[in-house]
Amino acid sequence: MKLSITDNVHLVEPGDFEASEHWYPRVLNSNIHPLVSHFLYLTNQQYVERYCRLNPEANPEAIMKILNYQPKYFKWSGTDMMHITNQLGSKKLTVIETNSCPSGQKSMPLLNLNIEKGGYKRLIEDTFLPAVNAHKEEGKLAVIYDKNPMENIGYASTLADAFKEDILLAKFEKDDPNPPAKFIDKKLHIKNEDNEWEPIRAAFRYVTQMPWSRIPVGSRTLLLNPIEACLAGGRNKSEAYTAYLDFNKEFENEGISINTPITYLNVSLEEIPTYFEKLGKSMVIKVPDSNAGQGVYTVTSENELSKAIQELEKNSPEDKYLIQQLIYSNYIKGASKKDSWYHVGTIPDKKNRSYAFDLRLMMSYTSEGIRPLAIYSRRARLPLNQPLPDGADSWELYGTNLSVKQMEGWSYDDERLMLYDIRNFANLGLGIDELISGFVQSAMATYAIDKNAIRKFDK
Amino acid sequence: MNVKVLIVEDDVVFCRLLTKYLKDNNIQTKDAQTAEVAKALLKNESFDFIVIDNKLPDEDGIEVLEWLAQQKIKVKKILMSRFEDEEIIQRATDIGVKRFIKKPLKPAVLLDLLQELG
Repeated sequence: MKLSITDNVHLVEPGDFEASEHWYPRVLNSNIHPLVSHFLYLTNQQYVERYCRLNPEANPEAIMKILNYQPKYFKWSGTDMMHITNQLGSKKLTVIETNSCPSGQKSMPLLNLNIEKGGYKRLIEDTFLPAVNAHKEEGKLAVIYDKNPMENIGYASTLADAFKEDILLAKFEKDDPNPPAKFIDKKLHIKNEDNEWEPIRAAFRYVTQMPWSRIPVGSRTLLLNPIEACLAGGRNKSEAYTAYLDFNKEFENEGISINTPITYLNVSLEEIPTYFEKLGKSMVIKVPDSNAGQGVYTVTSENELSKAIQELEKNSPEDKYLIQQLIYSNYIKGASKKDSWYHVGTIPDKKNRSYAFDLRLMMSYTSEGIRPLAIYSRRARLPLNQPLPDGADSWELYGTNLSVKQMEGWSYDDERLMLYDIRNFANLGLGIDELISGFVQSAMATYAIDKNAIRKFDK
Repeated sequence: MNVKVLIVEDDVVFCRLLTKYLKDNNIQTKDAQTAEVAKALLKNESFDFIVIDNKLPDEDGIEVLEWLAQQKIKVKKILMSRFEDEEIIQRATDIGVKRFIKKPLKPAVLLDLLQELG
């Protein structure tokens, strides 16, 4: 390791991987739940067989086509899903968003204790390495990032070991007036020790804040993922929803579809109150390019509505917003038994508290098709089944984001992270069939966004 | 090695990687990303070494070292910089800075230096 070879660039060398630096301490001491490990070792054929047994209308060939699909742009993805139910007891996982720079490795217990680098190794060796080896471009290897150093240093050191090369680890921030990375003729260059621009043949990319402001379409440097994946829905929520609609149309005769809450696109600031009434005085407002829970508002009262509108007016008045049906905390008497969805929630704890949680599933394309890589959940701060305390807002009940804005990725809201380990997993009330169903939903969302990217950029 | 070191550098990744390396080599380490936080730590705790970058967001590292000299806080001083600025080196020498380290930094080099000076 050579620290600070130039401003915001470090040189990571083979042998630098330190497990304790790339997992949360709690995860280092955890053991994966056997059911989760069993799920992760199933073959794609087994996923399809089981999914179709429980969903007899689904065409197994169509699902196999999706699981074996080789994405052109979106080879590594993560979905956020919610486990929801209705009054008829019909449970399902619904896709909330799909991310082209998903976090998750640091929250995932090791699948195999003898493979020290865990999911870092699987992603780098099974997904990135074959793509880099097939890519004819000259230059060094790099990791560019603007968040989550804990995982990105892990990826850089895994890359160094996999390729037996030094890796340039560069912070590529949106507001940096002198960034250490830039694209010259669509090829990524990073400042080296001599303060010269070093050409890069391939880079692992974890740049999340408006990445299109500095990464071009058609990059000659191989990027995992390229910017096309972001622009087609991996970051823009409106694009993602459009991609899901196209997917559902393509597969409408195959008995499969991507589950999402009811969604309205391109809503102006002035129109927001109309949708609040239309959706029964509750909704979620999303700024399409929002990230990590910023720019997402749950609205359940007139007061929250006016607060959200004020903030939107201040921060992004020109945007067109995405409005979604709110997944309720509980069944509401008198609401539709079939169409009124509410959170399944965690298994009640000893104080009888049940919390909304999400399910985050990371996956990547390998020689065996799209495969799950990492999985974890986060729960909300306040329980679903108890009255909201005075002064608390609905985000406390529904928001599951863990980010804490200190220490750039080394801090998190520990007590709300739900590991899929022997101690925590059972509290989610999930079984292997839900995991399979979640994986199929996630693979469908990834397929949909990749196809959207192909439609948008391959002309 | 029974010494306590304060690393002051605004790059949080740099701090994290360096403190981890030093801790693995049994050196007590704390870090700060700004001059303000560093000064607060130095007022409340004693350190054997301060290893400080000259370029910090709120103040230059050399100014923090000069403040330390004025406050008569006893700590061995190591200044890091990417550039060998003669004026800065002179100011550092005047206040008894033990070493000037040019970036990039190999953690093992710093460890050797701490062992040599400790």
